[in-house]
Amino acid sequence: MTPSGRADVAAITDDLRAFLASATGRDELRRIPPGTALFGPAVGLDSLTGTLLLREIQRRFGVDVAGEDLNLDSLATLGTLATFVAQRTRPEGGP
Amino acid sequence: MPSGSTVPQYETAVPGNAVSVRNAVPSSDMVDVWWFDTRAVAVTPAGLAGLDRGERSRAEAFLFPADRHRYQAAHVMLRQVLASYTGTAPGQLPLGREPCPRCGAPGKPVLRPGPGAPAVPSFSLAHSGDMVVITVAGRPAGADVERDGDRCVCPLAGDLHPADAAWVAGLGDERERHRAIIDCWVRAEAVLKCTGQGIGHGLGGFPVRPDRSTGLSANGCMVRELAAPPAYRAAVALAGTGGLTPRVAASWTSPLPL
Repeated sequence: MTPSGRADVAAITDDLRAFLASATGRDELRRIPPGTALFGPAVGLDSLTGTLLLREIQRRFGVDVAGEDLNLDSLATLGTLATFVAQRTRPEGGP
Repeated sequence: MPSGSTVPQYETAVPGNAVSVRNAVPSSDMVDVWWFDTRAVAVTPAGLAGLDRGERSRAEAFLFPADRHRYQAAHVMLRQVLASYTGTAPGQLPLGREPCPRCGAPGKPVLRPGPGAPAVPSFSLAHSGDMVVITVAGRPAGADVERDGDRCVCPLAGDLHPADAAWVAGLGDERERHRAIIDCWVRAEAVLKCTGQGIGHGLGGFPVRPDRSTGLSANGCMVRELAAPPAYRAAVALAGTGGLTPRVAASWTSPLPL
């Protein structure tokens, strides 16, 4: 991945953290590491908030994660989700 | 436990103790509803000892102690509630998961009947924020609770059944729209938890009529709204047709009668 790709991932990761903190009213979610399993027990997201996150990604980045990643591997952690979104939004990018 | 809170305190019981309260499994259209506030639960080492390996490893995976506490409190109390119906010690309850009817993945948590044992109750556990609701019934039931906060939930309208989404879109007040979306969500999730189908398959496959609060039938279940703590919305579903009558066994404002 290019340096600019890494920057994309870092910026998207921060965006997702900020959204989660705002949607849950929990400021500590601004500091969660990229390895955090968002849809596992790690931070206790409820199903409604998890879905809201995916809809926000669709609105902000135009990426339908659940529709485009059939194995849902990208949902494993915050970092895999941000990487998937970065790959789908960079025109020259892609896996 | 935040300072200044007035929620009642109670401790989780010692597994292996004689179970002191026995509740009859609800019959017919009745569903027992147990609410509690996880801030009020002091999780004890003895209570934790009743959790199984899977529950312990999930608890270990939480990043923040407050989330771990909510999970542990919910599961220790779930075991105590179920023990009060079956007479089985909390740590000895044969809990398992039924396969999702759509994809076969491990899904709905169930109590497995032992050899020669009488029928076991069906249950459902839901939590959101600090609140937990457990429903117990004689046939498959499902419950859901979600926070009804200040956040905008309009992006979820696209996940609802088209008829419900259209009704929500017709509401003039933004706050009312948010509440109606959450009402649809908790009803659909309660129905899917009742049938055992994971919400990953979508929850807009059937209408749940946000314009009504009771007397609803959806996807082979009865479903209705459930009185919930302030700033939360909740629903309960029961398999089959006919009535659905919730009976509050414990309120979020009082200690669990266990």
